[in-house]
Amino acid sequence: MDMSQYRNLFLSEAREYLKTINETVVALEESPEDRAGIDTLFRGAHSLKGMAASMEYSDVVEVAHRMEDLMIRVRDASLRFESAIADLLLEGSDVIARMLVDLEADREPRASAGDLPQRLSSYTPAPPAPPRQPGAEQAAPPAAPEPGARPEPGSAPAQVTQPEPAAAPDQAAQAAQAGQTAAPAAPAEGERAKELEVSSVRIKTELLDHLVNLTGELITNKNRLLNIGRDLASDPLNEAVTETAKLLRALHDEVMKVRLMPFDAIADRFQRSVRALAKKSNKDLHFVIEGREIGLDRSILESLSDPINHMLRNAVDHGMEDRDERLTSGKPARGVVTLAVARDRDRVLVTVTDDGRGMVPERMIASAIRKRLITPEEAAQLSPRQALMLSCIPGFSTAREVTDISGRGVGMDAVNASIQKLGGTLAIESEPGKGTRFTLTVPMTIAIIHALVVQCGSIKGAVPVTAVLRTVELRQEQMTVVGKRRVFYLDGEALPLLSLNRALGLPLGRFPDGIVPLFVTEAKGRRVGIVVDRLLGQHELFIKPLGRPLSKLQGVAGGAILGDGEVITLLDVGGLL
Amino acid sequence: MAGTVMIVDDSLFMRKMLRDLLEQQGYQVVAEASDGNEAVARFREFRPDLTTLDIVMPNKNGIEALQEIMVFDPAARVVMCSAVGQEPFTVAANEAGAKAFILKPFNPELVAQVLKDVSEA
Repeated sequence: MDMSQYRNLFLSEAREYLKTINETVVALEESPEDRAGIDTLFRGAHSLKGMAASMEYSDVVEVAHRMEDLMIRVRDASLRFESAIADLLLEGSDVIARMLVDLEADREPRASAGDLPQRLSSYTPAPPAPPRQPGAEQAAPPAAPEPGARPEPGSAPAQVTQPEPAAAPDQAAQAAQAGQTAAPAAPAEGERAKELEVSSVRIKTELLDHLVNLTGELITNKNRLLNIGRDLASDPLNEAVTETAKLLRALHDEVMKVRLMPFDAIADRFQRSVRALAKKSNKDLHFVIEGREIGLDRSILESLSDPINHMLRNAVDHGMEDRDERLTSGKPARGVVTLAVARDRDRVLVTVTDDGRGMVPERMIASAIRKRLITPEEAAQLSPRQALMLSCIPGFSTAREVTDISGRGVGMDAVNASIQKLGGTLAIESEPGKGTRFTLTVPMTIAIIHALVVQCGSIKGAVPVTAVLRTVELRQEQMTVVGKRRVFYLDGEALPLLSLNRALGLPLGRFPDGIVPLFVTEAKGRRVGIVVDRLLGQHELFIKPLGRPLSKLQGVAGGAILGDGEVITLLDVGGLL
Repeated sequence: MAGTVMIVDDSLFMRKMLRDLLEQQGYQVVAEASDGNEAVARFREFRPDLTTLDIVMPNKNGIEALQEIMVFDPAARVVMCSAVGQEPFTVAANEAGAKAFILKPFNPELVAQVLKDVSEA
C-alpha cells in the first residue's frame, strides 16, 4: 500500500493530537485526579502510536508507545500524575513534534529521542520527602515493570497473542467508566474529530493571499469607478457601482473569514511558556486562556505571538508576587494570570490580566524622572493612566533587577512598537496591590482596512482607524502651553500637540479660520494630538507592502491607491514621532 | 458483491486509510463515525452490512458501542480494530458479539481476507 499519499493527513492530525496532549498535560497539573484528562492523554498517545505505526515511522512509534504506557500506569492508579510526569510527556510531545518537522521536510531525521523512551518507561515517582528533586527519576533504577514489547512496524501482527503485563484485567470496565466521564470535561477532542471530518479542503496559504490581493485590487477599482460615476453624473452607472460595492464587501468578508484562524492555533505555546516561567521563577499560579475560538487574520496572529509572550513574562516575572508575599498581603497563595481574547466589531482585544502586586503610578513617575525620560514639569501633567504608560518609553523598566527571564533592554516599549505597527493600541490599567491588566487592541485583518485619510501640505497619508482614538477640530483658544509644549485637554488629561507636517519635514500648516484639525492617537505610550492640515475622511483601502528601499523608512507601513489613482502611504504614526 | 460498511475510528487518518482500502475491495462505505456515541447513532441510521469498530475512542469506547449495537441488531457483523496491547479487550469484545479482530497497523491483504470471511459467514 502506498502510504505517501497519507503523509500530509498524518502530519496534520498528529499535530492536533500533540496539541491536545500539551493542553491536557497542563490542565492535569491543575487537577491531577481528573479521570477524563488522564484518559484523553492515554488516547492521544495511543492514537499517535497507531497512526505512526501505519506510516512505519518507528521513531515516533517508540516515543508515543512509551508515553502511552506511562499513561496506562497513571490511569490504572498506580502512579499519581505529578509534575515530573508532565515534564516527561511534554518532552515526548516536543520530540515527536521535531520528528514531524523532519518527516515533513523529507530529510534524514535530525531529531532523536535520545534516552527519553527509557526515562518514560523507567519512571518512578520521587520519594515524597521535602527536598525537591525534579531530576531524580533519571538516575532511579527501573523499578516499575517494563511495558510490553513494542510493535515492529512493518511486520503484520495477525495473532492477538502478545503479552501485556501493564494492563489490568478490568481495563475494559475502567475505560468504560472513564469514557462516561469524558464527555463534559474534554469536549475538545470529540469536537476536533468532527471538525476535521467536515468536508474540508487544504489550501495553500499563498492561494489565500492571492485571493486577498485580487479582492483588494477589485476594491481599488471600485473606488475608481465611483469617481468616474460621480464625474459623469450617470445614475445607472452609480447604481451599478453601488451594487458592486456591496458585493465586494461581501466577497471581502468571506475571503477574510477564510484567512481567519482561531486564536487556539497559537494558544498552546503560551500555556507552555507560562508553565516554564512559573517553574523557573518558582511561582505558584493558575493560568487561564479565554476566547480560544476567536478568529484572527493569520498574519496578525503571527505578529501577536511575541507581544503576548512578553506581556505574560511581565505578568509572571514582575507582576506576580511569590507565595510568601501573597500570603503576607492576605491574598490566596496561588496567583491567577488570564490571557483573554475577545472580539469588538472589526477589532480584537487581547488582555493579559494578573492579580499580582500592581503598578504604582507615583513610583513610575519618580523612576522616569530619575532616568531623565521626562522632566518634573511634564511629570506634573501626567494622569495616573499616563504614568502607567511610561513603561512603554524605551529605556524604562520598573523591575529592580534584570532577570534572565524577562531579559534586558526589550520591554513594554517593544510590545507597544509592534502593536502600533499592526495599527493597534496598547492600554495599561493597574491597581496597586490588586493587579495589572494590559489590553492590546488590534484590527482583525490588515490587508484591507478602514483608514483615516489626512492631508499635510501636498501629501496625503492614511492612518488605520483602529489607531485613531478620535478626531477633534480644536479652536486656537482651547490650546495652552505647558513648559515648552502646546497641549490641549481631553477628558481632563493634558495631551501634547504634535504636528504631522513637522514629522514629515513639511512646512507647518496655517489655520486662517482658527480651527485646528487633529486626531488623537497613542504614541510611545502616551495619548497625543496629531495636528494635520485637513481631515479628508474615512476610506476603505487595500494596503500593499512597500518594496525596498521604501520599506526601510521609519514611520511608513505600506501603500494604497485611492479611487482617483493617487498613491498614498499608510503611516505608522508611532514610528514617525 | 461486497456490501456496505461503516468505519468507526477517532482518527481521521485511520478512517481515510481504511476507507481507501475497503473501497479498493469493492465495499461501499456508507458512514463514518469518530466516537462510540456516533457509531451507535449511525449504525441505527445506515444499518451497514459490516462495521469496523475502533476500541479506544472518546465519549464511549468501542466495547460499549459494540454492546449497544448488538442489542439493537443481534445479527450485526462487527469487526473490532485494535492495536497491540489491547488484548484484555478481546475477551470482552468476543463476549459482546464481535465477529473478528483486525490489528493496527493494518495489513491490507489480511484486512481484506478477514472482512471477506466475516461478510460471507
